[in-house]
Amino acid sequence: MNKLLAVLLVLWAALPSRALQVTDDRGVAVSFAQAPQRIVTLLPSLTETVCELGQCQRLVGVDRYSNWPASVRALPQLGGGLDPNVEGIVALKPDVVLLAQSSRVIGRLEALGLKVVVVEPKTHADVQRVLAKVGQLLDVPDAQRVWRVIDAGVSAAAQSLPARVKNTRVYFEVNRAPYGAGESSFIGETLTRLGVKNIIPAALGPFPKLNPEFVVRANPDVIMVGDRNYQGMEQRPGWAGIRAVRDRRICVFKPEQSDVLVRPGPRMAEAARIMAQCLVDTAGDKAP
Amino acid sequence: MNSVALDARSIRARLGFAEVLHGIELSLPAARWTSIVGPNGAGKSTLLKVLAGLLHHQGEVRLLGRPPASLSGRARARQLSWLGQNQATADDLTAYDVAMLGRLPHQPWLGSPSAADRAAVEQALRATQAWDWRGRALGQLSGGERQRVLLARALAVQAQVLLMDEPLANLDPPHQADWLLLVRELVAAGKTVVSVLHEISLALQADEMVVMAQGRVTHQGRCSEAATHRALEQVFDHRIVVQPLSGRWVALPKL
Amino acid sequence: MPSVGADMSVAMTASMTDVTHQHRLAWVLGLGLLLLSAALAVIGAGVGSTGFESAWRAWSDPVAWQIVWDIRLPRTLGAWMAGALLGLAGAVAQGLFRNPLADPYLLGSASGASLGVAAALALFGVSPVATQWLVRLGLTGAAFVGAVAAVLLTLLLARGVQHTLRLLLAGVIVGVVLGAVHSLVTLLAPEILQAMQAFMLGSTGFVGWTACLLMAAVWLVCMVVAWMLSRVLDGLALGEATAHSLGLPLAPLRAALVAVLALATGTAVAQTGLIAFVGLAAPHLVRSVVKTTHGRLIFLSCLMGAVLLMTADMLARWLIAPQELPVGVLTAVLGGSYLLWLMHRRTGRSRML
Repeated sequence: MNKLLAVLLVLWAALPSRALQVTDDRGVAVSFAQAPQRIVTLLPSLTETVCELGQCQRLVGVDRYSNWPASVRALPQLGGGLDPNVEGIVALKPDVVLLAQSSRVIGRLEALGLKVVVVEPKTHADVQRVLAKVGQLLDVPDAQRVWRVIDAGVSAAAQSLPARVKNTRVYFEVNRAPYGAGESSFIGETLTRLGVKNIIPAALGPFPKLNPEFVVRANPDVIMVGDRNYQGMEQRPGWAGIRAVRDRRICVFKPEQSDVLVRPGPRMAEAARIMAQCLVDTAGDKAP
Repeated sequence: MNSVALDARSIRARLGFAEVLHGIELSLPAARWTSIVGPNGAGKSTLLKVLAGLLHHQGEVRLLGRPPASLSGRARARQLSWLGQNQATADDLTAYDVAMLGRLPHQPWLGSPSAADRAAVEQALRATQAWDWRGRALGQLSGGERQRVLLARALAVQAQVLLMDEPLANLDPPHQADWLLLVRELVAAGKTVVSVLHEISLALQADEMVVMAQGRVTHQGRCSEAATHRALEQVFDHRIVVQPLSGRWVALPKL
Repeated sequence: MPSVGADMSVAMTASMTDVTHQHRLAWVLGLGLLLLSAALAVIGAGVGSTGFESAWRAWSDPVAWQIVWDIRLPRTLGAWMAGALLGLAGAVAQGLFRNPLADPYLLGSASGASLGVAAALALFGVSPVATQWLVRLGLTGAAFVGAVAAVLLTLLLARGVQHTLRLLLAGVIVGVVLGAVHSLVTLLAPEILQAMQAFMLGSTGFVGWTACLLMAAVWLVCMVVAWMLSRVLDGLALGEATAHSLGLPLAPLRAALVAVLALATGTAVAQTGLIAFVGLAAPHLVRSVVKTTHGRLIFLSCLMGAVLLMTADMLARWLIAPQELPVGVLTAVLGGSYLLWLMHRRTGRSRML
């Protein structure tokens, strides 16, 4: 009888006690007694991920660069990724803090007794992985479905493009140095999925600092650029001869759109739609 | 020709917050060598700077009888040459180029050195025995050699009045003697030389002597006069004694 | 260059009597640098993201011709001009402050230019009025205005050019304060950070023919004025009191030299960003070969700076083509290593610390 009781006790103790364990990007296993209810995020894409999974209400604090959806702007802002307000974070008594590997406060927060999960989406595959991980952390059952919706959105954007747009050669300028978005960057992956060609090959890395001559030589059909960096582009020496500049096939994105395009995260379907729209618009403007 | 080269009236000057010269009245005769002596901190260098017009002061200094404002900077520079103590040295210029800088008051703004400039520089460098290594950079010279080049610079100006502050710094006895002979030649040619020297025996070889203490002139007179010798001994608290030696006056420490 | 230096020292001990030796040396150096510039210009037209083939095919392929004529040539010549401006500014700064560590950015112009660019990048799109002005001014204009404004601020703080030490201190203060404001701006608008870094490290990427002509005009003006005022720098080498005693009107001429410094630095920085070390190293490199007065020194410094920057620019374009290294990194490596070698050689010979 005592042996039976002992076995039952052991079995009871071994029952899944609704304990959560998540292995973050560092390889550290973080365990929780229950799904965290108070979340602080220090990376805009992680804020978007949490909200995309329908758990916006669990956010108690975000970083100053998180600006989507609009409701998060009302939350307390805790500094940036590189200079977070440690005191503010601790004062909110979060159950978990989500941040990127590059953040410098990981050690500090853990030393203060907070639970820290490091995740960061950098590629398309990452977005799916991060969604799954955060979904597991927040005990959201249908994270996979969320991903499928996003993925379908990207495919729909790709399919919405007319055939003549398919082989357009695109140059996406991230910064005016000039830094371009290569095939291996997040933006590059979206462009690849849309079926267009990137003038920057994968061999150059995700964000190479280019010789402006390279762009002139590559002669892209379409240039995509944020309006902050667009100013003065046509006056750059030699650029007036680029096909995209001559035919005025330049998409100039407003800051909100730039945000969506540059940030790797769950809004990638919208990013794909913006880029697709840009391609359709400029294809239509093609001067005879 | 005026017999007074430099005329100083009621000179007051301050360095920082302290007043260094308290009401100096001085008349330095032309075509003479005057040496200014005194203990440390008496204000000798300051007085020389005031006479050269390099320091703000109250009172008036007349150069060769002309009021101070009547001359432009360059005209004044042509008539008065000043050699300072412990000034910055242009380590990267050759001795020749440094001596040529003495001709700046004579050269027009744009133009290469004229034959007169070159002759003056050669004469000055030869007078200080610096001609042989005129192509060497100042940074590669010894202290004494550098001093001779700076002296040559002051001589190259060919000014009527020469003010020299510690011209014998780093010079060895042969070159000190050379400098003495040079000054005698200049005075014989009608130039006025005023020097601040702390080698008292050499200062006693001058024509006139001005004794200073604590920002005031305590005595001015001929170097051969006994009154000057007594004033000299007194200003140094009778720690020196002035004695004749082989027809000249020397100052020896009283032990 | 190294063998010339060794030969020169031997020659000097042998013929110390010959002053014209230095003059001849100066001519030789000048001509040598000009020839080197021409050679580098030709090579520079061939270096780029696609190598020499563009130059060969320039006659037949309009794109290749455009690349060589519209992009590579103005970049190469622009690098020459910017290097010349920085060399001039460096020589003037070192003469004016009698300090061998002086560089063109001494009076805060670097921080001012950075702040101008940061403000322009951050304000763009924020308000229509600001945007309109910024479009007209452009980033180059903003950098120039920032650099000149910083120098004016330094002059104001130092209350004129009379006291060298006060001017130096004011320059340091202005540099630090404006640098702090610049950091603040990048904190508030972090999206400009990458573009700012590109500016700070320097690049001749967008130098076209108009920029070249502008720099050439400014260089001519500055060169003429600096050459006319070179006597002041020579006089100052003997100390301020001596310079004053030689009849040099120091105050207005020093102000003119500071203006030349600000103009030359501002123009160079506006077109090519902050390029370190060229202004500091060029006069030293010239002085290591020939000892001469400031008139020749300033001109030779221009040529030396130009060659230095041209070489660095070519290497920047060539090493990881089609990507580009920031040219400021290469100038520091080139100029710094040469000076290091020079220092090592000197201490080796004289056996003194």
